[in-house]
Amino acid sequence: MSALAAIFYREGRIRVTNLTFVFWDLFYPLGYLLVFGVGVSAALGAPSAIAGASYNAFFLAGVLGMASFGIASNTAWSFFLDRDNGIFFEMLTYPLSRAQYLLGRMLFTVFISLLQAGITVGLGCWLLRIPVEVARLPLLVLGVAGGTAGWFYFYAIFALRIRRNDVFNSVTSVFYFVFLFASSIFYPLEPLPRWFRWTALANPVTWQVDLLRFASIGAGAPRQILLEALAFAAFAVLSFVLAVRCLGQQE
Amino acid sequence: MGAIALEVENLVKVYHPRRQSPVRAVDGMSFGVARGTIFGLLGPNGAGKTTTLKILNTLIQPTSGRAAVEGFDVVRHPLEVRRRISVVLQETATEMFLSVRDNLLTFARFHGIPSAEARRRADDVLERFRLADDADRKVQDLSGGNRRRVQVSKVFMVRTPVVFMDEFSTGMDPILKRAMMDWLREEAARGRTIVLTTQILGEAEELCDDILIMNRGRQVARGDLHALKLLSEGVYEVVMTFDALPASIEQELAQLAPLRMKINQNTIEVAFKAGEGQVLERVSALARGRRVLRVEVSGASLEDIFVELTQRKE
Repeated sequence: MSALAAIFYREGRIRVTNLTFVFWDLFYPLGYLLVFGVGVSAALGAPSAIAGASYNAFFLAGVLGMASFGIASNTAWSFFLDRDNGIFFEMLTYPLSRAQYLLGRMLFTVFISLLQAGITVGLGCWLLRIPVEVARLPLLVLGVAGGTAGWFYFYAIFALRIRRNDVFNSVTSVFYFVFLFASSIFYPLEPLPRWFRWTALANPVTWQVDLLRFASIGAGAPRQILLEALAFAAFAVLSFVLAVRCLGQQE
Repeated sequence: MGAIALEVENLVKVYHPRRQSPVRAVDGMSFGVARGTIFGLLGPNGAGKTTTLKILNTLIQPTSGRAAVEGFDVVRHPLEVRRRISVVLQETATEMFLSVRDNLLTFARFHGIPSAEARRRADDVLERFRLADDADRKVQDLSGGNRRRVQVSKVFMVRTPVVFMDEFSTGMDPILKRAMMDWLREEAARGRTIVLTTQILGEAEELCDDILIMNRGRQVARGDLHALKLLSEGVYEVVMTFDALPASIEQELAQLAPLRMKINQNTIEVAFKAGEGQVLERVSALARGRRVLRVEVSGASLEDIFVELTQRKE
């Protein structure tokens, strides 16, 4: 427990004493929703109807999914910063196990992503009148937390395996392009070409966003959402196992 | 629990670099280190010192063999080992985005020191390392030397029984280095085991109770300074100062096949491996017909021993 508290202390001090981190960690998804969401909503003509809701309401789950994906990628990138500063290997000699190290980093990332989601949902609902169902908020919290954890472990595998920062940046750029655009973040899948739809359905981003959309505006069939949630859980567990193994192989 | 802090038995570490043949960085090392000792692990670049330390620090796992710290096996009980060690890595390792004080407090937090006690210790360490004026500055704004100072100062925040220091004095000014050596002696007197690697042999000569010299992953000598000097019996160091340096002195010295030689203005420093009588004959030959202001003949320094042992053909 004290090891996890120490990781929280470290990460917290880094955030609190660096205000630019606070902006990117807490407010950028809201900014995305307000700028991109409002822009597309206006372009489609208000009130547009996508999946039975306004584009802003539809896009809220997409923004939350994208934020999970983004914060996980940023935290994994911070492994490179820690490596450059030498502190990465020193931390591996501190009294904590490799699994605790990853768990602590994951929990802090989840904590930040929940704050981020709280701000985005709270202000999004207030400013854009998005009708979020309060009764489903616990599911929304679960979707954000579980999604962030899964993506953190997924990215950690690459951050720990790849030694060069530039290679990691190229990999994340490809991931951003493939995972975010071939998913249900920005558009509903039903009108898409068949090959595109199947690609998106095999994408864990879609699994997480569909759950978040169900939890925020009630869109989607419960049976499919459950299957997608289980698939995402399996993806997260597999990523965790591989990330711990990669951390153990650091030399 | 016995009086042994570190135990290493037949330790082997083989690296497998991509598209290159395997490298046997540590090749069957065995040694033990008593509690409260300042133990020096010496060797030329690539000897395997840092790899040995990394295994003992639980950063990497050995290919075969066994290593234990305070009785705990580094592979089977790494967490127990980490609870008992603090480490200064060869590379500078600091939290760049945190202040100097936060670096100390964070380190203490990881080692489970209560907040109030950590603050008290941090104040003490900041004073001791002359970092108090920079306490609230971010480490990224400090010079390289001060970053290293922050890194080294962290091990004084905790009371772990074993401290590993890989080239601890790199980038440290001479005054602080001297003070550090005194503090390390104090820590050892309190029962902490200090394990250090260094390229600066004078440092090891002055500080270490027990020295292990390794080369190509293997132990080539072990013991305290006195024992090592006995190993290198027959090595003499000669210092001669002339009123004017003879023009042919470099050639004359080269003909005597010295282990090493250095010429500085009118002074020559040369190390020979020869019998005492032969060395005195050489000194008198060098002095013949010349005005010599000073002559000193002494036994081998650690540097002589190191050079001799690590250059020996296997």
